[in-house]
Amino acid sequence: MTLRRVRESETLRSSPVETLNPLMDRRKFLKSAGVGLGVGAAGSLVPNPIFREASAAAVEAPKLAQYKTICTKCAVGCGLIGEVKDGVWVSQEPWFEHPINQGSLCAKGAAARSAVISDKRLRYPMKLSGGKWQRISWDQGMSEISAKLLELRKKYGPDALHINFSAHFSNEHGYGIRKWAGMWGTNNVDFQARI
Amino acid sequence: MAGLANVFGYGAMTNSQNDIRNSRSVMIIGMNPAENHPISMQHILTAKEVNRAVIISVDPRFTKTSAFANMYVRIRSGTDIPFIFGLINIILAKGWEDKKMINERTYGFEALKTEVAKYDPDTVADITGASKEELFRVAKALAENRPGTVIWAMGGTQHSNGTAVVRSYCALQLVLGNMGRPGGGCDVFRGHDGIQGVTDVGGGPEHLPGYYGIAESAWKHYSNVWDVPYEWLVSRFKSKEMMEKPGFTVARWYEGVLLDPKELGQDTNIKAVFFMGHSTNSMQQMDRVKKALEKVELIVDFDPFVTNTAVLPDRTDGIYIMPAATNYEQPGSATNTNRDLQWRQKVVDPIWEARTDLAIMIDLAERLGFKKQFIHNFKRDWRGVPASMKEVKALPDQTVEDVLREINSACLSIGYIGQTPERLKRQQQWAHVFDIKTKKAEGGPVDGEQWGLPWPCWHDKHPGTHILYRLDTPASRGGAGFRAVWGPKAPDGETMLASDGAAPVGGPNAGYPAQKEYATDLTQEPIKQALAEGRNPYGNGRARLNAWNIPDPVPTHREPIHSPRPDLIAKWPTYDDVKEHYRVPQPYKSMQKPDWVKKYPIILTTGRIVELEGGSAAERSSWWLVELNPEMYVEIHPKLANDHGIKHGDWVWIETPEDMDDKPSRIKVKAKVTRRVGPDTVFLPYHWGGVFEGKSLADKYPEGTAPYSVGESANTVTTYGYDRVTQMQETKTTLCRIKKA
Repeated sequence: MTLRRVRESETLRSSPVETLNPLMDRRKFLKSAGVGLGVGAAGSLVPNPIFREASAAAVEAPKLAQYKTICTKCAVGCGLIGEVKDGVWVSQEPWFEHPINQGSLCAKGAAARSAVISDKRLRYPMKLSGGKWQRISWDQGMSEISAKLLELRKKYGPDALHINFSAHFSNEHGYGIRKWAGMWGTNNVDFQARI
Repeated sequence: MAGLANVFGYGAMTNSQNDIRNSRSVMIIGMNPAENHPISMQHILTAKEVNRAVIISVDPRFTKTSAFANMYVRIRSGTDIPFIFGLINIILAKGWEDKKMINERTYGFEALKTEVAKYDPDTVADITGASKEELFRVAKALAENRPGTVIWAMGGTQHSNGTAVVRSYCALQLVLGNMGRPGGGCDVFRGHDGIQGVTDVGGGPEHLPGYYGIAESAWKHYSNVWDVPYEWLVSRFKSKEMMEKPGFTVARWYEGVLLDPKELGQDTNIKAVFFMGHSTNSMQQMDRVKKALEKVELIVDFDPFVTNTAVLPDRTDGIYIMPAATNYEQPGSATNTNRDLQWRQKVVDPIWEARTDLAIMIDLAERLGFKKQFIHNFKRDWRGVPASMKEVKALPDQTVEDVLREINSACLSIGYIGQTPERLKRQQQWAHVFDIKTKKAEGGPVDGEQWGLPWPCWHDKHPGTHILYRLDTPASRGGAGFRAVWGPKAPDGETMLASDGAAPVGGPNAGYPAQKEYATDLTQEPIKQALAEGRNPYGNGRARLNAWNIPDPVPTHREPIHSPRPDLIAKWPTYDDVKEHYRVPQPYKSMQKPDWVKKYPIILTTGRIVELEGGSAAERSSWWLVELNPEMYVEIHPKLANDHGIKHGDWVWIETPEDMDDKPSRIKVKAKVTRRVGPDTVFLPYHWGGVFEGKSLADKYPEGTAPYSVGESANTVTTYGYDRVTQMQETKTTLCRIKKA
């Protein structure tokens, strides 16, 4: 949010505000603001006069790519906009036009970004070996897992595997895992939503 | 979704959150949207402010939602059916029912009436704890303020008779005539962002994507879609019999590990278990889960965070934790609670070494020898899948889109047809032209479409179905009767087709069966033909107030397995034991012990809080959210606390019956003394993990991955009890005792 506010005030400074409201005409507005009038009345669009001089020196606003996504925290389906700089998710913006949430979010949605950037993310595959967590490569993990699965399949059949998948899956993943289980050869695949 | 599907034909919320703006009454039962679906409250509160809608909150807890309600009724946990049938009893006695809806569009009203007669206000007051006056006031408010919606969530469903509870809500709405109209409906709010879609097009142990079941015909449909010989699919299974037998569920998979194979519905124990974005702290009887995790040979947890699963079992080998991408790190579609499909753009690439679930599945299929079949369908191979998946973190957008196109051409039964990637992406860019109240686009290239193209959406020009079972709209624009899925006649010979005059406008003005082969003909010709003739492809049938083919055809009250009322257990006992249900034995009566209440006199219920969600490994790893709600607690009424010498902030032990093990389960949590709960009930939020029976597991996490907040899991002390139809866990009602730690 902070970054966006800076950028908005930059925009205000560098290009005229186009408005149907004659009282809000850009030039008149600046003029009046300059003599200290109308500041309170114009509400949130008014740049804070205290900061005006400093930012008028024009720090280049960061160019952020915007991506529209849907919150993953419940089934309401609120829209939100992620802002990315150099491949890093740096900020979140409300998606005001979204027909379900009209921009608003709850605490979890407002913290959507933390699901990605949290320090606590699992960064690489690990396995528990001799009571210790050991870093491994994806290739090692997947080849050990699949070798074990094939061994169990041979010994006990495909029903020796059970899959607990997720109600957080996208439709494509949900479809994919059911197809996967069918082709592995088991119906032991569930995510608990049958009621 | 078995409750709704067995009444109306489709297992989904019938109206939408936005449509609640059209309601004149809103009854919220077994649910707390102010915390669990906070943004939906905008629509509910708009109804309250603009329509003067009456908001009624019915719950064992005075929740944050109750604080917004005009009426609050406290009922004992697990007594929803008596409460609802008590309302219907009054409605029928006063002649407030909608006779036209009942006569023209339902089956089994007489059977319902006979059952409902047992629930006179005195009986209901005794069972539920609500007063007769409250009951009468609610019935009157619902009758005088139509259309009205009924909203519920897990508070209604996580009971040993959860499916029947859902059907009782449906019966109330049918009797009030609130179905198939704006502002009405059965609006179950689902929990997770993908849950509706993954139920629809994912499937589970008893059905393939699109609710096709797992009988031979279903597998044949999918052998056509996947373009593989049916015989090859059979050869992948242990046998054809196992191929057509429902598998284990999330609720009780661990018994597949723990029990003797002779007791199981398959000839082997489970030896390996995958977790893909699923946490163990949302699973009931966690002490049993722990034992199972200690016994299996292989545990693989694909998740963005290290979950409870990795640290719960005491073992030294055989656990793999593999970093998965979040849904913000990949594109894809998600279906929200009101059947809207929305496209997610990828915000960033998967960070660190995380991989998308699709990449993981294809990689595994490659190593296990069925990649060729997995990425193929009757149209072509998914594009963008490389020859070797070894180093692939994520697939390009077009692969994900091709999977959606495969869904579009496979899931004909529920009309997941017109929600193509192109249309979803176009809606995303034109979100501003949709009306907040009708969810309909006005102008632009999406003119006339419903937001999210809610299913059924029968073809790529269809607007989607905002409100299910609505007759004032032609089938081509989303109009429909109830689904004619039970054949033309009920076993008693009565018709299951709607009456003459009760059909969607613009077609034959009568009931009619489903179009032949509309769900399996991949050319989609039957669907086109039905729509051209003004008929809904799935037919025009009757809703079932008497669902003859499932336990309790007409819902009836059954005391929870762990009931505090021995006298009521005698009168309203639970089900007979079931020998095999989803491959495990499922006792009922032999587990319902009237004596438990002597040792465990307090009702224990669980639920969610606004800051966290599900097993919450992700939210408890978010500093911002942990700061808002840092630690696990139990809500205790001041009287109960005082009687036990417990003060706000004290540590307390909560113990629950031993059930299947030799000792009671217990957790140590802090007391939050509050009047939200009544003096007979305590409440636990279920999001925490990383502490087990008083002992922290924080040192068992790999370095730097323990969440900011660990705490006891409520599900360590939830007890045995599973829905008779779906095996949903009974986490909402059990018994406990408390003492100061």
